[in-house]
Amino acid sequence: MPLRGKPTTEAEKIVFRHEAELPPMTRSMGTVLINKTGSWRYLRPVYEEKTPPCRDACPAGIDIQGFVDMLARGEPLEAWRLIRESSPLPGVCGRVCPHPCERSCNRGEFDEAISIHALERLAADRALNEGVGEEPRAPKEEERVAIIGSGPAGLSCAHFLGREGYGVTVFEALPRPGGMLRVGIPEYRLPRTVLDKEIADIEALGVSFQTGARIGDIGELADYDAIFVATGAHKSRSLNIPGEDAAGVIPGVEFLKNLNLGGKNQAGERVLVVGGGNTAIDAARSALRLGARTTIVYRRTREEMPAIEEEIEAALAEGVDILYLATPRMALVKDGRVAQVGLIKTELAEPDETGRRRPVEVAGSEFMIEADTVITALGEAPDLSFLPEHAGLSEEPREIDGTPVFGGGDAFTGAGTVVHAIASGRRGARAIISRLAGAGVAHEPPGPVVPFESVNTACFARQPAVRMPEVPVAERVSGFAEVNRGLPLTDGLEEAKRCFSCGVCNLCDNCLIFCPDIAVIRLNDSYEIDYDYCKGCGICAVECPGNVISLVEEER
Amino acid sequence: MSIEIPREEYLFSGHTGCPGCGAVLAMRHVLKGLGDKTVVAIPACCWSIIAGAFPYATLNVPLMHCAFETGAATAAGIKAALEIRGDTETTVLAWAGDGGTFDIGLQALSGAAERNDDIIFICYDNEAYMNTGIQRSSATPWKTWTSTTPANTPKETPKKDIVATMMAHHIPYIATGSVAYPADLIAKVRKAKEIRGTKFIHILIPCPPGWRHPSELTIKIARLAVLSRVFPLYEIEDGNHRVTVEPDDTRVSEYLKLQGRFRHLDETDIEVIQANVDREWSRIECLSA
Repeated sequence: MPLRGKPTTEAEKIVFRHEAELPPMTRSMGTVLINKTGSWRYLRPVYEEKTPPCRDACPAGIDIQGFVDMLARGEPLEAWRLIRESSPLPGVCGRVCPHPCERSCNRGEFDEAISIHALERLAADRALNEGVGEEPRAPKEEERVAIIGSGPAGLSCAHFLGREGYGVTVFEALPRPGGMLRVGIPEYRLPRTVLDKEIADIEALGVSFQTGARIGDIGELADYDAIFVATGAHKSRSLNIPGEDAAGVIPGVEFLKNLNLGGKNQAGERVLVVGGGNTAIDAARSALRLGARTTIVYRRTREEMPAIEEEIEAALAEGVDILYLATPRMALVKDGRVAQVGLIKTELAEPDETGRRRPVEVAGSEFMIEADTVITALGEAPDLSFLPEHAGLSEEPREIDGTPVFGGGDAFTGAGTVVHAIASGRRGARAIISRLAGAGVAHEPPGPVVPFESVNTACFARQPAVRMPEVPVAERVSGFAEVNRGLPLTDGLEEAKRCFSCGVCNLCDNCLIFCPDIAVIRLNDSYEIDYDYCKGCGICAVECPGNVISLVEEER
Repeated sequence: MSIEIPREEYLFSGHTGCPGCGAVLAMRHVLKGLGDKTVVAIPACCWSIIAGAFPYATLNVPLMHCAFETGAATAAGIKAALEIRGDTETTVLAWAGDGGTFDIGLQALSGAAERNDDIIFICYDNEAYMNTGIQRSSATPWKTWTSTTPANTPKETPKKDIVATMMAHHIPYIATGSVAYPADLIAKVRKAKEIRGTKFIHILIPCPPGWRHPSELTIKIARLAVLSRVFPLYEIEDGNHRVTVEPDDTRVSEYLKLQGRFRHLDETDIEVIQANVDREWSRIECLSA
């Protein structure tokens, strides 16, 4: 039997030259392949891959649909390799990224978004557990690049330069590489084995790390052919209240760094954390684990809190109190250490330039709260004093003493998430390569993003997302062991199968199955339309689950 | 959704079915279920044309054209002839439209069913005489526009209940099928192939020109018919009912509004149709319990 309606014999017109050639009864002697019904068509279906909304929402542009598809096929290591095309830190991002991809996932409008972060983590954890890493290699290009700062932006830049064979040295002021990933993010969110493994993978690309090497003046790096500055934002904004200089008042970044790097416990018995971002939540959950009664005070409401939603939930579940709509006015100092904090209630007025509603103090609403430790987490600013003209540096390169200097990461973008820093590092690497190689790096413009309305949801059954199991609260607050347990492989593979595969063909065969003209041909990893016969009915375009097929007007 | 559909094709491209024709897809999937040891008898219907004009054929299995009223009788005759030649393996399929089943072909079908002739009779029902210009048949639903029941005087009587008619013949297997659920259809066809006696499968076929809908919506409309319970998918094996695809909470209006043949319906008409569909569904559900 033929696998499709292609002729078993050539489609030839049958001609009877005289009566004697006619069969004794009317019976078929050839096939209808003689009719090239493609001439009926006025709309032409074409396979036209589009951009899935997850990938569009990912600052690092990770091929999310692609790696999820590899997981669905049971190939977690291939998934890990694919992620590393766009991000060197899948194990880190799978744990700490605020995953904007999931908020834009079309499946979220159907039942629940794919647990993309859990799947990213699963792929990275499989590589870690199976001991699969980058093969060691040596630089092949002559040019050498210096990177200042080993946080996610610096690591990402090093990764993408290293892959292209450039010699890279990363300078880190602190004794260990990783930047905020090591000193800012607590271990219960990001075990150090994961970070160490992903740094080792970057090292394998021929990247060398010089730790404890603070660059006082960028002139020290004059020997390098290009410099990437990714020093991050470590300087805490101050409260500007009386008593702020007393013992017991600590910037959040400082508190976390001392804890994460040296195991130093600066939390007293009663900790007040001021702020609503991720640093505030990290500091509060860490203080809680150190045995302190912990309260967060935030001048707006839960709705405006910039911290990751799941982190806020976890903090509350663990017993952190959050006091909304209040702000500190003064710290009452007793015997040289803070003893109480004077607060005032706030209310929300009209939105400010950030779009969030502006808090205003309510006159006469002052109150006091007991606290022997105040951790300030009001946002961080970069320290770029080692640059001669630091005000001028951005992601756009500047020549400093004849060397091209590029900026990236939090210090310049102010975006404040790991994934934005990774993206910035990759942009930096691209800019450096095109500068050093003297050629622009071509990249294709992405296709249009697939909206939910274009997904053929009839192809999918409602099925809730799989969530990572968590260590029970009572158990986890007693230490710094990781809170989220990863997905078991079988659950992850099932979760991956929920993906709509928006805009990307995953060979589901719907186009082939529903073609009335048997004009869709399955090739090894794609389909072809036989335009000799396709009548342009458009069923394939409607029935494609992920909106991969477009109908374009026929020109004749 | 991953559907295990056989890769083999028994139809050739180049047939003269309209763009988006559901009847072609139904035949394509049914033959995938039956395989190449199949003989088809086709009375007058759209498929008389789709099957190819002399001397060209659309099917890669033997096909015999026959008179409008003789689908079941021809199939039964072919089966008898095959048995005389010692071939008990080949399946004989009578493939008729609603005209060749509900109206003109009913007598021969009733006769074959009463004798329990060993054939599969499939009615691909596009709910009117589409091939000759959309004249109403007894399969045309209540209030439907056709060229002989125009919008100002749409059809006044309900669609004939062909499944109940066939049940009254006590045949071993009856099923409904849809082009939107090929795996379900193929499973039913395969089951029918293994049963001796008369098997009847009723497939609802959206028809872009006759139902007045864009060609790309054929499958979507077929699916909505199932989900809204206008055309539930079930089978009756030795009198036992079983629903094979669970419908959801889709309203009949979702199905009706995509088709020009229902454009003239008002709210009250749609409510009546919904009530009829609900009543019929609870009967099927009750029988399946």
